[in-house]
Amino acid sequence: MRTCIFTGILFLGLLLGSSFLTGAMAQDPVPPLGLPPVPIPPDNLQTPEKIALGDKLFHDTRFSTTGEVSCATCHVREKGFTDSPLKVSEGINKLTGTRNAPTVLNSVYMTSMFWDGRSPDLEDQSLQPFVNPVEMGLKDHEPILAVVRSDPDYTKAFDAVFGKSGDAVTMKEVTQAIASFERDQVFGDTPFDRWYFEGDETALTDAQKRGFDVFINQGRCVSCHRVEQTQAIFTDNRFHNIGVGINNIQGDIPNLVPKFVKADYTRTEVDVAVLTNPSTSELGRFVVTSTFNDLGSFKTPTLRNISLTAPYMHDGSQATLRDVVVHYNNGGVTVAGDPVNDFLSGGIRPLELDDAQIDDLVAFMESLTSPEVAQMAAATGEE
Amino acid sequence: MPESLNRMNRRDFLKASGAIALAGTLPVSMVELAFADSSKNFTFAYISDAHIQHISGNSFVRNWDRGLIRAVAETNLLDPKPDFVMFGGDLAQLGSKAELDHGAEIMSKLNFKTRYVMGEHDYYLDLGEYWSELFGPQHYSFDHKGVHFVVLNSILTYDEWTFDRWPTAKQRMLEMAGLDNPNGSPFMVGEEQRKWLADDLAKVKKDTPVFVVSHSPIQKIYKGWNFWTEDAEQVQALLQPFDKATVLYGHVHQIQYNQIGNITFNSVMATAWPWPYPRSYAQAESHMPKLTVPMNRADPFFERDATGWQLIDVGTGRASLRYQLYNNTNRTVAFNTTTGQPEDSMYQAEDKRVPPQNQY
Amino acid sequence: MWKRASGICAVILILAAGILPSGVGADEFTEADLERWEGEFMSVVEYGRELWVSAELGTNGVACAQCHPNAANTHPETYPKFQQQLGRVVALRDMFNWCLLNPLEGAELELDSREMVALEAYAYYERRGVELAPGKH
Repeated sequence: MRTCIFTGILFLGLLLGSSFLTGAMAQDPVPPLGLPPVPIPPDNLQTPEKIALGDKLFHDTRFSTTGEVSCATCHVREKGFTDSPLKVSEGINKLTGTRNAPTVLNSVYMTSMFWDGRSPDLEDQSLQPFVNPVEMGLKDHEPILAVVRSDPDYTKAFDAVFGKSGDAVTMKEVTQAIASFERDQVFGDTPFDRWYFEGDETALTDAQKRGFDVFINQGRCVSCHRVEQTQAIFTDNRFHNIGVGINNIQGDIPNLVPKFVKADYTRTEVDVAVLTNPSTSELGRFVVTSTFNDLGSFKTPTLRNISLTAPYMHDGSQATLRDVVVHYNNGGVTVAGDPVNDFLSGGIRPLELDDAQIDDLVAFMESLTSPEVAQMAAATGEE
Repeated sequence: MPESLNRMNRRDFLKASGAIALAGTLPVSMVELAFADSSKNFTFAYISDAHIQHISGNSFVRNWDRGLIRAVAETNLLDPKPDFVMFGGDLAQLGSKAELDHGAEIMSKLNFKTRYVMGEHDYYLDLGEYWSELFGPQHYSFDHKGVHFVVLNSILTYDEWTFDRWPTAKQRMLEMAGLDNPNGSPFMVGEEQRKWLADDLAKVKKDTPVFVVSHSPIQKIYKGWNFWTEDAEQVQALLQPFDKATVLYGHVHQIQYNQIGNITFNSVMATAWPWPYPRSYAQAESHMPKLTVPMNRADPFFERDATGWQLIDVGTGRASLRYQLYNNTNRTVAFNTTTGQPEDSMYQAEDKRVPPQNQY
Repeated sequence: MWKRASGICAVILILAAGILPSGVGADEFTEADLERWEGEFMSVVEYGRELWVSAELGTNGVACAQCHPNAANTHPETYPKFQQQLGRVVALRDMFNWCLLNPLEGAELELDSREMVALEAYAYYERRGVELAPGKH
């Protein structure tokens, strides 16, 4: 009998022990409620130390010409990793660009970065703002390397995480650490998730449930803001022209398009042009692919935690969620009756929602905030 | 690696990142025509099957309107500019004046000379009377940079069906409008027009490239849906003597291509909506050209999926069709001088196919 | 006494023979039955075909047959399946309702309506003989 218990405890110990071991080496296999498995690239696996290093780099203002701007300047943890309520972000010397800062929350599920998808992954994305004249303003990445190769806290951390020091520490390691931190910002378990995937009928109000019905049916939001049978990332990772911004340059398109194609920019030049030239910015993904398909197209963002990240759209032109829904309800124009642009995505058309339905839809979107994220936002009050 | 990526110009970056694989799928304005004797090369745009459909008063089916509007807007952005535009037939859905007018109005925004081909949906209400007022003769020919173009009205049918069968013109139009209508009647060029064609071609040297622009396929593919020309063999016989003959046709709302003897056949896409491939109808046999790599299966949730228009490059008398597909990777079907047949620039080999082309 | 009982029995038997169709057992059906029932089915298929080509199903005059001649490309043999843009596994009639709502700009049909059954009957009939493949994209 005693040997039985003893073997049992041993067995249990082994079981727990082995899972503990795999837990430390691999990723957490169970994503938060409502989310799919977190995709981690095999050449940049997560470790707590790497994530902490990335956090430090993310918040380091030394990587700018004025010493005042870091990634966190525009991606503020307490504001859902955006700079709400700014329409477009402010870099060094409060210089403004043309684009609204997207959230880092759940960005690991994106298959391309930036509103126009001009960056293939988080590592590559993090390179660009450092050298953009209206963001951090650096001429090149050397000042960053100078800091991480000399600052004692950094040299210790890079050695511990990557086993590298001195000149072996390059932007590859820097961006991998930053990306690692960003990939850790995964939050689900919202009231919607508990209602939809766990059947908790008390998790949503009646208005929110009605709003979900609009989301799936008459509103057809689910066409691009994907919800699936066992998880929902609320994006299709594709690019669509929904009539925001491009409507302002409709008349100019015959001039802008050939001019842009003739210019044949390098990739860095595209990055600069997009943030410094409003007309170029409105061309959307066209500046990346030069195909007509992509004229005025922007990436579908996730709707998770959307309540925290006003204002909305790539140019921050929609102040509230209600404004956003009205824009869609009008069939892709902000003011009802305005002409729609010729390159409007096929899925966009007048929805004929009434006021009650619009209110319900907005209420539903407010159920997409994760409790941890809500806590982070509330924490700013307690200083 | 990231640094050097930034220094590449966009063209090289796109190639390096695998965004485009071959010249055939380069963005429209970046293609360099690789034909010899470039003085004879030219490009024209081909928009087809708009099916403008009247609901009532001033409202038309928005879906089809948007398809045509987009084709016109994109054609106007082309750089370098095409020499002219061809409209491949079925501008209207039920041949009404309102539809033809509305379609013509959208087409009038084009900055290029446009020529029109008759489609059955334009014809069977008033036998092309109003259409001719707007667009001119129903069949005709012209020459352009050394190529002889012949535009046929290839959607005629037996006299009995056209003149005697139906009590009203409206009824006749409705009967022909249903693709799968068993009361329909097969398309043809007809004896009179074939005589005209023979005379017209008699004046053309055998080494001059000939392009026949038609609505029906000048082949016999599937009779149930009128992917069919009753006198196809006779028309083909008139084209066989020529070294280089190409037939461009609409009507089928899908990518098809074929080679019969020395005649190359290329279909064009519709701006309105896609049609299934005949083999997807399980109860009937059809004769799709084996050569054709199907277009990606249409996803109904994207309104513009499997619709589009095409840019046709003509070099050394052969055609290269660059399909501009609004919601998909563009496709190019070009004549391969080595194999002597039209081929898809990316997907012709079996092992290059992708699931959307197989999962039908 | 038993004479009257057998008389009544006889009457009951005769009556029963009149009410019961052809055979005496519920598990018997004849060629005539099969033919008649197929006719019943085809009448619904025909109604479905009428609806399929009708310009009145939606509000914009578009008919199912315009994009789906002979119900081609509806793939009824693959339902129920996960339909990406509805976010869940659905049946064929859910997809019909999506089409009614969107390309036809009309109103949904009740899932158990005569019309819905007829549309399904027609679509399946035109696809007869094709192997089942539920869940196939």
